[in-house]
Amino acid sequence: MDKLKRFVVDYVTYVVKGSPAFYAWIAFLCLLILGLLYGTYLHAADGLGYTGLTNQVHDGLYLANFVFLVGIAAGAVTIVFPAYVYHHKALHAVAVLGEMLAISAVLMCMLFIVSHMGRPDRLWHMLPIIGIYNIPHSMLAWDTLVLLGYLFLNFVGGFYYLYRKYTGQPLNNKFYLPLIYVSIVWALSIHTVTAFLLNTMPSRPMWHHSMMPIRFISTAFAAGPSMIILIFLIVRSRTKLWIENAAIDQLATIITYCLGLALFLTLSEVVTELYANTEHALGLNYLMFGLHGFTDLVPWFWGSLIASIAAFMILLTPYWRSNYRLLALACILAFCGIWVEKGMGLLVPGFIPTPIGEFTQYLPTTLEIFVTLGNWAVGLLVLTVLLKGAIGIQLGDIGYAPPTQGKVPVGTTGMATAAELT
Amino acid sequence: MKNNVFLPTFFLLWCAGWTSALADEVKCFESRKGASEVTQRMIGENLPNVKCSPKTGAVLWWGDPFDGTVPMGDMPIADADYTRGKALVKPRSDKVGLLPLCGNTCHTGVLPSGFPQNKDSRQLIMMHQAIVLDATKLPHGRSAIWCLDCHHPKERNKLVDHRDNPISFDQPQKLCGKCHGEVYRDWREGIHGKRIGEWASTGTKRWFVCTECHNPHNVQHGERNRGIAQHQPEVAPALPKGMKTADHERRHHDSARH
Amino acid sequence: MSKDMSCNPEGGCACSGKKAEAAPVESVSSRRNFLKSASMLSVNSLLGTAALMTMSDDARANTEWAEWFQGNYRLMSDEEKALARGRLERRYSREYAKTVIVDGTPAQEGVLMGYALNIKKCIGCRRCAKACVEENNQSRGKDQDMEWIRVLKMEKGEFSKEKMNQGYPEGLGIQVGGNAYSPAGVVLEGEHYYQADAVPEKDSVYMPIACMQCEKPPCVKVCPVRTTYREADGPVVIDYNWCIGCRMCMSACPYWARRFNWSDPNLPKEAMNPVTHYLGNRPRMKGVVEKCTFCIQRTRKGRYPACVEVCPVGARKFGNLLDPESEVSRIIARKHVFRLKAEQNTFPKFFYFMD
Repeated sequence: MDKLKRFVVDYVTYVVKGSPAFYAWIAFLCLLILGLLYGTYLHAADGLGYTGLTNQVHDGLYLANFVFLVGIAAGAVTIVFPAYVYHHKALHAVAVLGEMLAISAVLMCMLFIVSHMGRPDRLWHMLPIIGIYNIPHSMLAWDTLVLLGYLFLNFVGGFYYLYRKYTGQPLNNKFYLPLIYVSIVWALSIHTVTAFLLNTMPSRPMWHHSMMPIRFISTAFAAGPSMIILIFLIVRSRTKLWIENAAIDQLATIITYCLGLALFLTLSEVVTELYANTEHALGLNYLMFGLHGFTDLVPWFWGSLIASIAAFMILLTPYWRSNYRLLALACILAFCGIWVEKGMGLLVPGFIPTPIGEFTQYLPTTLEIFVTLGNWAVGLLVLTVLLKGAIGIQLGDIGYAPPTQGKVPVGTTGMATAAELT
Repeated sequence: MKNNVFLPTFFLLWCAGWTSALADEVKCFESRKGASEVTQRMIGENLPNVKCSPKTGAVLWWGDPFDGTVPMGDMPIADADYTRGKALVKPRSDKVGLLPLCGNTCHTGVLPSGFPQNKDSRQLIMMHQAIVLDATKLPHGRSAIWCLDCHHPKERNKLVDHRDNPISFDQPQKLCGKCHGEVYRDWREGIHGKRIGEWASTGTKRWFVCTECHNPHNVQHGERNRGIAQHQPEVAPALPKGMKTADHERRHHDSARH
Repeated sequence: MSKDMSCNPEGGCACSGKKAEAAPVESVSSRRNFLKSASMLSVNSLLGTAALMTMSDDARANTEWAEWFQGNYRLMSDEEKALARGRLERRYSREYAKTVIVDGTPAQEGVLMGYALNIKKCIGCRRCAKACVEENNQSRGKDQDMEWIRVLKMEKGEFSKEKMNQGYPEGLGIQVGGNAYSPAGVVLEGEHYYQADAVPEKDSVYMPIACMQCEKPPCVKVCPVRTTYREADGPVVIDYNWCIGCRMCMSACPYWARRFNWSDPNLPKEAMNPVTHYLGNRPRMKGVVEKCTFCIQRTRKGRYPACVEVCPVGARKFGNLLDPESEVSRIIARKHVFRLKAEQNTFPKFFYFMD
């Protein structure tokens, strides 16, 4: 128990100290979080009238980010899976960073859901026993279950690993490995269920096809590792923790496959829908070409497609892929392309036209954008802190020492560099 | 000269007095303009008799659906809805006595001598041109029928059946049903026409009779060939946030439908 | 909280209402319009919340707390239901300055409510949509105007001689399709906001759409907290006090029949209909979904729904589907009926028919 107390104290002491750059980054995030707090207060006080949402397009930026971030959370498994199933050494060494990413992504998902909800004060209605938890009928109930489960698995798995590392004890594989294997399957489930959330509704023909779950998984396993590669490159350059090229290359390979699959599925959908061009293809027509003079989403769709194709081209070419500057660019392109594809490319056109044929436009308001940025800021703040702690432990900057020897001094050069993580 | 001025002035003053006394009076029409009208009033605490549309003047909501109604009266056909529940109508007979003159002469039911009583088509000269402009070309029936095919030749406050028996203005369906049998059957059973009140098949209902919705003298409204006159529509729903016009709705997208 | 929240963060807000008047707020001219007005609103809300908490309106505060803690209406005991309704009656009566009834009449035995609409007769006058608002206490006002019934205008379409030779693709001059028919006359090409001096317009048909009260309602299935459910006599209702505002039901509805309260509803005192039902037209709050209930407050008491009564052409019919003598049963037996989007297997209890 004393060890655990020491772990918490050391961990917290370590993560709150850092270089000016670290504090500047934290301050920047806090500024964005202030916007979130203000927006959340307005939402709580006066409702969602401040958003650009309407009865026609009633889910927008918040839900789109939720859907995307579920993918990011699921994407963390692209480290864990090769590390533990294929015993990929380089990835095995940094698998815990993936778990930290998953934790912060799931947290962001929850924040976005709270922003999205009309009555977050009544969330307790979903609690079993005191409320009603409509399982197995409600996909949202399933999604809540799998997301909370995923958060739990990653939290326990990640911090168990870090704690053992901190105390210098070996992992109890009888406990740890099943946890990891369950979390691998579970990662697939979270994005699958999120796809089911949308595609089980025949009222929205744009979503109602069985390709959705695999498309979600493939985009998730492209966007997730893209973000991880970017994080790895930053970690490599800004901290003492060296991440092997092999790890990055492995992830790049995964992105290549998954992005290729995602593009193939997009192409399949376009051909399937546009060839027959039934009324059910109106949403896709609106997205790709604009309808009734509404063309707001057209540049987003083509921009996203071009970004994804460009990323795929870079990743496909070994010469370009091995240039980490170009690889970073590819990752940024893939990440942004998929983010747009989930929001403007999937969620919004699902609502246009409405089931009874009304065409309208959705434009997020400034406040909506602030709240969205704020939610991301919270997630990035959590991610920064988690990664900093995890890296500190990985490096041995924090470790358990018998009380007589005193705490490991904080503020050594190595730690300052670790703290510069931005 | 003095007299000439005095009379209209008196009339105007009289009218003005009425108007000011009825300053708050809101009159609305029930089903179609020109048929039954109601005056807005309170019939209970917080309960108006009707709520009306500010745009069209149409009644939108009835506080008491049976306000001002009377029993519909005997109907010869058993086995129809009105034999189970209670059927009420808004009396219309008094409308023939619109002006004092009308109620004292022809529309008392006793026709002064000298008026022709045969059904031969002829022009109307002194009366009712406002209702039927050219009686020899009655739109209803496309000149095949004439006034006295429907109105009782002798009792001018009544309608007429096949055997020259009078029909009350409160039950015009007995007349209309002579020709429009299928519609009549649907109306009897509640498939056609409008009713308000209680929905149960045994409930009390106010029945709207034929002429409350259809103009009996010009049912089809010329080329439009529909039994209902055109209505002024209520305002369009509010546009969704961010939309300025609804012009896009009239732009069809055939180019995208290959 | 009667606020006219015609708010657009880009364009600023037009905030009026008694709280704004009662509590003037200093405005800082240098701030951006939206921030300023938004803060005004929030200060108003703060004051409102303060009023809830302090002695100024103790009873109201207790009411709101009690409402917040109450369970799902359907699972309450009869006593709890009566208590919840009494609480609301007191609050509404105070807020709207009139005696408000919150009825709780349960479903009657042997009744299954059904609806039929004569699609051939509808003239598109929209009186049904307005009567519904008079009856059901929807939010009023420009930005918040809430109508449960949507009337679509559809052109009959035309075949044109000029386009006889326009087939596509046009290669080799062999037509594989035609272009002579204008793509009108389908639901998804309808006009929702048509304006006309008089209706019906030439070559137009009209199609009113509202909640279909499905026997297999997809909205009920997706609700994570079962706040929306089918009542035993047919209508699909919402316990507004249990709704968490996730809007899954709105996505799931194939008929676009559900509306969301984006802000506190604006319901003027004089326009408020004081005869309400807990599951029907009682005033709603911000952040919850609402919909047509077949005027449950009227139909449970035997009265026709408001839209049925107002229809000037008698196109709307309502009755008990279990009673063979009812108007709807007779229509189903005798006329050509169809259900909108029957392929969705939602089994609406709303039938369109033609003579």
